[in-house]
Amino acid sequence: MARLLSVFVLLVFVLHAASESTGELVEQLDEEEFTEELLFRPLPDRKVLSHFHFESRVPPTNSYGHHHRLFPKAIYQLVHKYRIKEMELSFTQGRWNYETWGGFDPVSSSNAKPPGVELWAVFDVPPDQIDASWKNLTHTLSGLFCASINFLESSTTYSSPNWTFQSLSANLRYGSLPREAVCTENLTPWLKLLPCRDKSGLSSLMNRPSIYRGFYHSQRLHLTSGEFDPITSDHGIVLEQTLTIVLQPDALETRARKLQPNWSMNSLFGKTVDGKCALSKSSNVYVQLEGSLVHNMKHEGDEGFRGNSNFEFSVSPDTIMKEVNSFHKEHSTILYSFRIKDSHINPFDLGFKWKLPVTWSCVKAPLRVSRFLMGSGNEKGAIALSLQSTEWSQSLPKVDHNEEKCRLRVDVFQIVPWYIKVYYHTAKVYVDGVPQSFGDTIEKLSVSPSEDKVSPGVMEMSLKLPCDLKSASLTLEFDKGFLHIDEYPPDANQGFDIPSAIISYPDFQTRLQYKQDNSSIKSPMVSKMQEKRKILSYTEVLLVPLTTPDFSMPYNVITITCTVFALYFGSLMNALRRRAGEEERLLKEKDTKSGKLPLLLSKLSAKLRGRPWDPSTSAPPSSPPKFISSKVILKIVLIAAIGFGWQYYG
Amino acid sequence: MYSKLNTELEGPSMAEISETMGTESSPTENNRNENSETSIFDHKTMRKTKPGLKRLTLTLTVFFSFLLGLPWLLKSVEIYRSPLPFRDIDSLSNSIDLNPFLYPCKFHVVFVNLDHSTPIKSNAEELGFLVTSHMLRFADGNSFCGTCENNYTVSVSLDSADNCVEHHEADSGTAWRCGALSEFNFDDTLKNEEALDDYLESVVGRNRVYTVVVVNTGEGDRIRAVVGKYRHAWIVGRVSEVDMLAEKAAEIFIKIFVSGLKEEESIQGEFMPAGADGKIVLSFNLLNADPRDWIYDWDFKEVDEKFLAPTLEALSPIANISVESQVLYHTPKSSYSYWDAEQESHVFSTKDLPFFVNSNEWHLDTSIAAGGRSKILQFVVYIPSANECPLRLQLPNGEIPVTNGFISPTWGGVVVLNPPNCLQNVDSIHPRKVSPQELNQIFEVFMGQLRQLFGLKSTGFYKGTSGTSVLLTSARGFTEWELDVLARQHACYNLRQCGATLGSLSRLVQSLPRMIIKDEIGKQVKFSLEAAKLAQSNASHGIYDASAVSSRHARSLAEDAFFHPSVMSVSYYSFEHNFAVYSPFFLPLSLHVILAVVKEIKRYKQESRKYAAWKAVRNQISD
Repeated sequence: MARLLSVFVLLVFVLHAASESTGELVEQLDEEEFTEELLFRPLPDRKVLSHFHFESRVPPTNSYGHHHRLFPKAIYQLVHKYRIKEMELSFTQGRWNYETWGGFDPVSSSNAKPPGVELWAVFDVPPDQIDASWKNLTHTLSGLFCASINFLESSTTYSSPNWTFQSLSANLRYGSLPREAVCTENLTPWLKLLPCRDKSGLSSLMNRPSIYRGFYHSQRLHLTSGEFDPITSDHGIVLEQTLTIVLQPDALETRARKLQPNWSMNSLFGKTVDGKCALSKSSNVYVQLEGSLVHNMKHEGDEGFRGNSNFEFSVSPDTIMKEVNSFHKEHSTILYSFRIKDSHINPFDLGFKWKLPVTWSCVKAPLRVSRFLMGSGNEKGAIALSLQSTEWSQSLPKVDHNEEKCRLRVDVFQIVPWYIKVYYHTAKVYVDGVPQSFGDTIEKLSVSPSEDKVSPGVMEMSLKLPCDLKSASLTLEFDKGFLHIDEYPPDANQGFDIPSAIISYPDFQTRLQYKQDNSSIKSPMVSKMQEKRKILSYTEVLLVPLTTPDFSMPYNVITITCTVFALYFGSLMNALRRRAGEEERLLKEKDTKSGKLPLLLSKLSAKLRGRPWDPSTSAPPSSPPKFISSKVILKIVLIAAIGFGWQYYG
Repeated sequence: MYSKLNTELEGPSMAEISETMGTESSPTENNRNENSETSIFDHKTMRKTKPGLKRLTLTLTVFFSFLLGLPWLLKSVEIYRSPLPFRDIDSLSNSIDLNPFLYPCKFHVVFVNLDHSTPIKSNAEELGFLVTSHMLRFADGNSFCGTCENNYTVSVSLDSADNCVEHHEADSGTAWRCGALSEFNFDDTLKNEEALDDYLESVVGRNRVYTVVVVNTGEGDRIRAVVGKYRHAWIVGRVSEVDMLAEKAAEIFIKIFVSGLKEEESIQGEFMPAGADGKIVLSFNLLNADPRDWIYDWDFKEVDEKFLAPTLEALSPIANISVESQVLYHTPKSSYSYWDAEQESHVFSTKDLPFFVNSNEWHLDTSIAAGGRSKILQFVVYIPSANECPLRLQLPNGEIPVTNGFISPTWGGVVVLNPPNCLQNVDSIHPRKVSPQELNQIFEVFMGQLRQLFGLKSTGFYKGTSGTSVLLTSARGFTEWELDVLARQHACYNLRQCGATLGSLSRLVQSLPRMIIKDEIGKQVKFSLEAAKLAQSNASHGIYDASAVSSRHARSLAEDAFFHPSVMSVSYYSFEHNFAVYSPFFLPLSLHVILAVVKEIKRYKQESRKYAAWKAVRNQISD
């Protein structure tokens, strides 16, 4: 463990001053506060990440009362009605590209979210009331954000992770809806929680067509409250709203394809900022350049404040913050900050212009994770989770100081709906293609199997993989269950989604520490970056096709079974009732008058002609051999017909 | 098994056949008689043995067991329905419809020093009749839900220096302490009417009796009628004509104390009920039209404690009222205003009012804390932006009202607050606070608006047929007699609604025989009926506020039952569905069974006839 810790010391950007940052967090407020911030970061694949960050804080109720100036009334009432300690709700469209957009920095590990809606909440209520609170909360949120969050009400859709997702908390509930579509009707209520909405300030940049055209769009609401906790009761409620968008700037100048595209606020959003939101305490725009980008840029001559030989800003930044305590000195990121004033004479339009071509890559998560389905058919299949090494894990030391093998810890949290019946005993772990024994690789495992129509299957697993691995994979076999006819969604043929699994690396923590001069206004976003946080990544959503029944089936089944029963009952009834002897005698009596066969034939012909049968017109008796031959012919014809039918329809 | 059964069953006829065959082959002595029988035996129309009953019993058993099984089947597919007290519901709604409940109202008139200067020697009884007759005239055509109609008692006290006469129509529990007013100095009452009001309260303030005290001071040329903030009024001045006094007292009783200054049955339009769950949420909003010009803030906590808390406590029998507040920004109004040089302000007229409230930008929102059926009243303080700064409302007659606000019935009220010296371009964006004086004014206006929303007038006087009466106001915003009026009206309205809701629930339940009714609904209906009965009995005892409270419970329980989620769910299968599910089995089956029964009965009858024929023949022969 000590060895591990030393690895951790090497990897984590900064370790010291943990107490400082926590001290900042629990700082006592005596006023409501609202801040708005916007972060831009050029991405290696010619795209630009824009990250809006709004934060509202309110002092605790017992000292401040329950009438607010800035804090949204709806959220305050929500927190108090359901006694929420912490809650996060995200609406996401598109998938975060961990490969090229990075997976290690604070922005990506806290703002990359699974597609659709994800909601988790920690309640401060007795354990038996948590589920009721959760259900009411989902309904309220679905009303508040115009989304079908109320589908998370059913106990088959949410679960309570024990240890992988968050810190040990029994009061946590987690649920996600992968198929929820996200659009403006979700953004508008989210904007309503901001004091300036999108009327002024940075949020006025949110031009709907441009932000929904992006490659990734994630709107997040995170709130923490210390209202009910006697220890942190001076904490109040903090509401953090972020909007993360990945946009592709229009490369107007085709002059140099090698150059990264230049961009400005106006070219990205089609709007500019007139001035800060009058209610916000501070309003800042940041441009973050990643360490490897800074490293790859040519450093020649003196760096001007407006830029250097590689790039240029259209507005000169107010402050430049360099990352401190970075492991690689030359890999430290730079943050340029621009303060937005109350009103600008010219609209504020930050532009970024490249002068020299440069390529770089983002800091990736320790492992590249993907999840896929195996097997075919509608009966069974397998889920596979594949972990590939990245540069990060390759840079890990193979062997530690004490000649002990270095181990990489990976936590997996996966929720599977009950109709995917996962056999957890079939779990197999492969490292570099070699099957591993359970004891070697799995450190901790807790599984709660699904219960039909009651609860989903939850798997929490802590893997211990060797640091020098190339690839590892985890497979689980499953059977596809059958749903009740009422449980199929309207588009049953589309298939069913398995929500994203969450992969976290408990040994690594990400943190960006910037040298901040005390004179500048403390920025919530920068202090958020300085918080240590776990690296999380979400896998793909899986789409499982299930057998789709013919929905008229129940009636068909009813009709067939009832007919069979009715036939059986009818024949039994007849068998009990019919007088075979008497009928035979009657027939014999008639036989004395005429032969059996002509009688039958005449009856048949009469029936065919549709006339009442008259025994007098019956044909004279014919010879028995002919009768036999006709019977044989009849049989042959019948067999031929059956054969033909079999051939034709089979 | 089958064949064995057959032989057994067909025994008689088989035997019959062998018998007939045997007679031919071996004639014996004994058969002589039989021979003659066989000669006339025709096996088509006769039989010698009794027809068997086994098969008939079998088919009939099957048939009847099916018939017996039918109720069992119906029982097994039955849907659980909690028994609802339909009869009680009907009787409740009938009783509410027939006599919208009548509160007993007690009135008391006190004449002080009447015989001082009047020539007429009036006795108490005559005066009582006089007042009653006037009241009948006033009450005529002025009886809506929540009034006393004819259910009142009038008692009269005569108090003069030397003797005291009291007349009670019934045991009304009123008593006037003789000479109580003799020590009170009426000379300066015009100045301290509040003091007189409180003094009278200490003398007569008990027992929910409405009192009018007529004091003859014998001086001054006009009389002054004042209605206090408790349950009494007084008429002071030189009394010349008793009839006029009686009319005035009767008018105060009927028009003010009973109907709360309401004219005729305009109640439907003006009356604002509490929410279906008996709750009202007062949502106060401070709207900064443009925070770039100025940002206003208020000290709502203080207002909440100082102004609102006493009022809400006073209104608590009528509704459970909660208060919340918020400050919103970037909320322009959506109507036009124009610059009026004469008024030196921007002016919007009354015809613009429907467009003043900008529902697109004013995110006043419903409250999460309140339930879905609560009544939400929005009160808005609108702070105009710099380019529309002194913003004033202009009445159609060109006047500028002092309040600078308006109400929208059942929605709430709006007050425009103009920032001081907004014409001078003050360029300070720092948050300013609404000053306590302004806040005082605003909340006085809001209180008036709230009274108006409840259907009360706040003019301060009442102009009746017999002169003007002055109405004193209470610091709580609502006087005792006004609260009585509101309590009566709300109780009446709530009970009517409760009756209507329960009535429609019972109709719904009866019209859908396959709807599931949970026990919870049954319980809610039961409790609702109990609360309604309690409200009625409280009303008949004249306990207005308790009656209002229990009527509120009755209504909210009835609404809960009606809007219970299980009623809404689609757990109701149509008859066609049942038919489709059961017919494939029962239709062919019943055909089999019925046909078998018919055939067997027919056959049995036929065979019995044959046997009867044979018996007849044999009897003939033996005879």
